[in-house]
Amino acid sequence: MASLYGSAHLQAPSPAPARAPQRIVSLVPALTETLFAIGAGPQVVGVSSYDQFPPEVKKLPQVGALLDPDTERILALRPDLVITYGSQLNAEAQFARAGIRTYSYRHGGIATVLESLRDLAMLTGHRADGERIARDLQARFDAVRARVRGRRRLRTMVVFEHDPGTLRSMFVSGGIGFLHDMLDIAGGEDVFGDVKRESVQPSMETLISRAPEVIVEIRGNLPSNIDAERRAWLALTTVPAVKNGRVHFLAGEYLVVPGPRVAQGVEAFARTLHPDAYR
Amino acid sequence: MTSPTDATAHVAPATHQARERRHATRGARATRARIAATVGAFGALAFLTCLLAPLVGSTHISLVRAFDRSIPFADNVDAQIFFVARLPRVLAGALVGAGLASAGVVFQALLRNPLADPFTLGVSGGASVGAMLAITFGLSMAVGPVSPVPLATLAGAGAAALLVYRLATAAGRAMSTSVLLLAGVTLNAFFSAVIMLLQYVSSFTEVYRAMRWLMGDLDIGGFAPVIAVLPLMAIAFVLFALLPSALNQLSVGSDAAASRGVDVARVQRLAFVSASLATSGSVSLAGPIGFVGIVVPHLVRLIVGVDHRVVLPASALFGAAFLVGCDLVARTLFSPVEIPLGIVTAMIGGPFFLWLLVRRG
Amino acid sequence: MPLSAQHVSYSYTSRRGTASFALRDVSLAIERGTLTGLLGPNGCGKTTLLRLLAGILRPHAGTVTLDGRALSDLSRRAVARRIAVVPQETHPAFDYTAIEMVLMGRHPHLGVFELEGPRDFDIAHEAMVSTGTDHLGDRAYMTLSGGEKQRVIIASALAQQPAVLLLDEPTASLDLGYQVEIASLLRQLNRERSVTMVMATHDLNLAASICDTLVLMRDGRIQSYGATSDVLDSDAVRRLYGVDADVRFHDDAGHLVVVPVGPAPSAVEGRTR
Repeated sequence: MASLYGSAHLQAPSPAPARAPQRIVSLVPALTETLFAIGAGPQVVGVSSYDQFPPEVKKLPQVGALLDPDTERILALRPDLVITYGSQLNAEAQFARAGIRTYSYRHGGIATVLESLRDLAMLTGHRADGERIARDLQARFDAVRARVRGRRRLRTMVVFEHDPGTLRSMFVSGGIGFLHDMLDIAGGEDVFGDVKRESVQPSMETLISRAPEVIVEIRGNLPSNIDAERRAWLALTTVPAVKNGRVHFLAGEYLVVPGPRVAQGVEAFARTLHPDAYR
Repeated sequence: MTSPTDATAHVAPATHQARERRHATRGARATRARIAATVGAFGALAFLTCLLAPLVGSTHISLVRAFDRSIPFADNVDAQIFFVARLPRVLAGALVGAGLASAGVVFQALLRNPLADPFTLGVSGGASVGAMLAITFGLSMAVGPVSPVPLATLAGAGAAALLVYRLATAAGRAMSTSVLLLAGVTLNAFFSAVIMLLQYVSSFTEVYRAMRWLMGDLDIGGFAPVIAVLPLMAIAFVLFALLPSALNQLSVGSDAAASRGVDVARVQRLAFVSASLATSGSVSLAGPIGFVGIVVPHLVRLIVGVDHRVVLPASALFGAAFLVGCDLVARTLFSPVEIPLGIVTAMIGGPFFLWLLVRRG
Repeated sequence: MPLSAQHVSYSYTSRRGTASFALRDVSLAIERGTLTGLLGPNGCGKTTLLRLLAGILRPHAGTVTLDGRALSDLSRRAVARRIAVVPQETHPAFDYTAIEMVLMGRHPHLGVFELEGPRDFDIAHEAMVSTGTDHLGDRAYMTLSGGEKQRVIIASALAQQPAVLLLDEPTASLDLGYQVEIASLLRQLNRERSVTMVMATHDLNLAASICDTLVLMRDGRIQSYGATSDVLDSDAVRRLYGVDADVRFHDDAGHLVVVPVGPAPSAVEGRTR
């Protein structure tokens, strides 16, 4: 049983209520997805401005996000639970004063995703569903592990941002975080696994010297000019991934949201890294 | 027939004149020699720095291997680190350092204020807005070798410079330095507000990219970005070469300069355009790197005096060496983690100015 | 005539487009070797006239000629080689030395990339000797006293080797001691080295002490113009300033002195003349 006071933070200004919250507002897209996945969708009355999945959220009122939570709008929805980011201390204090419970989220790896899932399941009265979903996800992870077992772990770099058409301002996944965990399960060895940060900005020199065998570029949407992006990598021909044509572009929201769809992301990674395991 | 007294009467003034003559010749030769020696010394410093900087880095490479022609370039890791990762970076650093330092000198003379820097008049504010727009709205159009962000940066810088120029000039008349300053400060404030607004509406990664850009970065990974701004910088430097003597005159006062035959309006235009070009090119290549444009001219003046005929070329050369040196520190101090360049220049600039203040007080 | 103005007018246009005339139909001729004073209350146009004579401003009507040629026909450098200006105050933005300030006067004689040669140093040194500042060469200009600063500026103007030296309120910002110092320097330069000078000033006694010719101005026009002894009297002072003054020759000083004794009996009458 995951600790409720570990990486996820639960704030209860009043003693635990008898019934589960029926009017939930979520500012965190990943947790909104989680709520819908565990069957608490009908209890959600407001979502963030960046929510896209599942399609039902598009009909719900939007109340801002990390930088601009619209507390007035949120309060107008009369919520009994608000899901906030861990850094939104002002907003949380406001809700506490109004007697509204908050659940705050913190970035973390896949373990955190599963923890939050179980927390929310318990909070919203879907404990059984939550447990089931969590076990399903775990099973999918194990399935992927099984598929790629025995294969050499490829030195991989996961890139999630850079200037279009060049390699400047590059952000890659570091040794901490859900991208790293996804890569790990999919049979990849993170070339920046030694850097204990969620994101790393490598210089050209570092890129060349770390020499990844596979490069996976992930985006919410496919870049408009993929050829230009491929050409940009050609500047670094000694990098094995470039030399052997193993620079892959993956697109999809499920790749960049640390929610229940991580399993899909893990599978996508595995297919990209070890295509022969999926033949 | 000359009498002995006539001869004596003429000897004394002649010797005095001869002594004065030698004094004057020595003075003239001293000026020439001083300028040549000073510029030469700074040139040697810049050259040496640029020569040695690519040899140092976070990764250990073998120079022998890097220059080994028998290994195909596509396979030669040491060569790629040297020629793709380090060399363009050093050259960009030299170009940007020289550009920003020179622009600083010129703006200081134009505004008649040693505390002015290349960003006082809003050029870098406009550049930053351009960069933010490109990042936030994901602009992806490129023109030839120039990619979207540098392109948008250039456009923003150009627009800002044009705006300030129009505000400060009335047809044909000389620029009012106070109007220039006011226009620049106002534009900077406005651009800062726009930048904050853009960051507010951007996604996480866009904000990271934007903030990272604002801290300056020379890691260009190839010569294309340098070549792209070279025409602009070349024009700027050619114009710089025409300015030093006129800048001396301008520094004393507009009317004084006019009464000595200087076409004040023309010199002001030239100074503004050249310094804006150099600043725009530099910012579009490496982002708005602060302190170079103000620390280098100050330091150089402490060493060589205030004659712009020495200060301008010396600042360009010292600026090049300075920025390459700062970048060296940025990429090796906590290797493999790199410190953004703007932070290194600020860490040096801040204490330097504190020291200046204490010294003066 | 080295320098003369013929029917010169100049107007300043305000932002709203209204024109105000600073000078109307002014004519004068500066004789070689004279020390002429432009005298009058603030706003009378003396500074504008000086700037027109220097070629810094272009007249809206009339011409300024130098040795028979219109200033507008000459290049800026050509004008600068013949006419030098000593401004009221000089505040260089950077810490130039005295010798650097004086050498800047050689600018109109040098090419674009030309550096000062031995002859330029000669001339600069000579100028500093004649103003008593040759011992200040390597001192920072900003650290000099008020009188020393002004003498260095006069030296830099002399280094231009001008035919005419124009001065704008040369003693206005100086202490009495330095005022006397500069006044006697100017007289010495004029009498002993035949430097032609035109000086705009509001200091009646300074003008009386060293100028041989006076141009009295008011509201952009010349009231009277001629030898100091002919032109400067109580009437003139009353007309110009609306002040009753005693103008008499002071034996010890050796020149006319102006001593105000009270406001004019009919100030209105004085102004409408």
